[in-house]
Amino acid sequence: MLDDREVRRLILATAASDAAAFEALYRKTAQLLLAVALRIVGRRELAEEVLHDAFLRIWHSADRFDPMAPKPVAWMVAIVRNRAIDLVSSANLARVVAAVEDAESALEEALGAAMSSDQIVESDRRAASVRDCLGRLKAPERQALVLAYHHGLSHGELARYLNKPLGTVKGWVRRALENMRACVERHVGEVGEARRAP
Amino acid sequence: MKLGAHPKLDALCGEFLIGTLRGAARRRFERALAREPAVSRRLQYWEQLIAVEYSEKFLAKPSAATWQRIKRDLALHRFAAPWYAKVWLWRIWAAAATAALVLVLGLPYVNRPAPVGYSTLALMQGKAPEAQVTVELSDDRRALRLLAARPVQAAPSQSFELWLIPPGGAPKSLAVIGTLDSQIELRGALAQPLARGSKLAVSVEPAGGSPTGGPTGPVIVIGDVLS
Repeated sequence: MLDDREVRRLILATAASDAAAFEALYRKTAQLLLAVALRIVGRRELAEEVLHDAFLRIWHSADRFDPMAPKPVAWMVAIVRNRAIDLVSSANLARVVAAVEDAESALEEALGAAMSSDQIVESDRRAASVRDCLGRLKAPERQALVLAYHHGLSHGELARYLNKPLGTVKGWVRRALENMRACVERHVGEVGEARRAP
Repeated sequence: MKLGAHPKLDALCGEFLIGTLRGAARRRFERALAREPAVSRRLQYWEQLIAVEYSEKFLAKPSAATWQRIKRDLALHRFAAPWYAKVWLWRIWAAAATAALVLVLGLPYVNRPAPVGYSTLALMQGKAPEAQVTVELSDDRRALRLLAARPVQAAPSQSFELWLIPPGGAPKSLAVIGTLDSQIELRGALAQPLARGSKLAVSVEPAGGSPTGGPTGPVIVIGDVLS
């Protein structure tokens, strides 16, 4: 499990052009980020390309990283995901998404560590809630959410893959997100006070 | 309408997070993310809410060539620390020098007067629950110690500035700092006691501190001075 404080420290040092810290940041996060890219682009060589491009961007934009961000690695994951999505969109790659049950196994893989942790700390509690709440979603909503999140499928691709009208899958995604938010908030309470300003 | 006040802000944050926000809509969202603190705060809320922890099985090891390409394309060798800036070298030097000093000067300096004591002056808090800074004041009221719940450094182009805000009065700058964990020597002793209802706060300022003498950037932590 990544140490948020260490990742934050390394990103901030990277913003000060500290090459050693940047390399340490790569060593700590590259395996996770490559896996995120691989899920979306589906091919190893393209995923490595995404990782390369993303780390160039991380180096150049580390000074725009918000030091108060509670999940620093999420900032890096977003850069990787967006780069991967751009790559597959521009290349119009035909991606292979395994059978429908893949959504379930992806969940098991993604959430395994959080469940095996001995420490009942806040992040574990939240990860357990995420897992539980995903399980409570209606099957089509869960499938659409996981396929979008883990495989980077767009609304259009989801519609084609699930053989449903575009409006239907958009509704599934929207309801899945809203239900997830409401469910996790019920489990762990409001996360901090970062509520939308009135 | 600013995106921060948009009724669909939550839906946009969620769709951005899972990657279904595409094209022009994503670019609009990214622009708002850079310009509107309310949007970045709300996205951080979502990131924290639906934070997925990845298992070992999920990880994929990149080839060594990828890091070599990154290093080459960024010409990272230009940013490598010179030999004399290596931390371990200075640590060894410092340890050796300290040992030598103790040997030369002997024990008289061991029996020094007791260090100055500190007591809690305020607890400053930010939006996130873990954004907490305890402020301690030395017994002689000439030094402050800031103890952050987690280390936070200012970006290279920014500084943090600590303010004393008397009730109904203008904020008075106490110090410009680079990190929330700081030891501050005050220019003069703090009044004893401070006016009831005074507050302490830290704002984000341009590097070197506020150009106007008052806070110009966002306040990241604030708290009442304890009576």
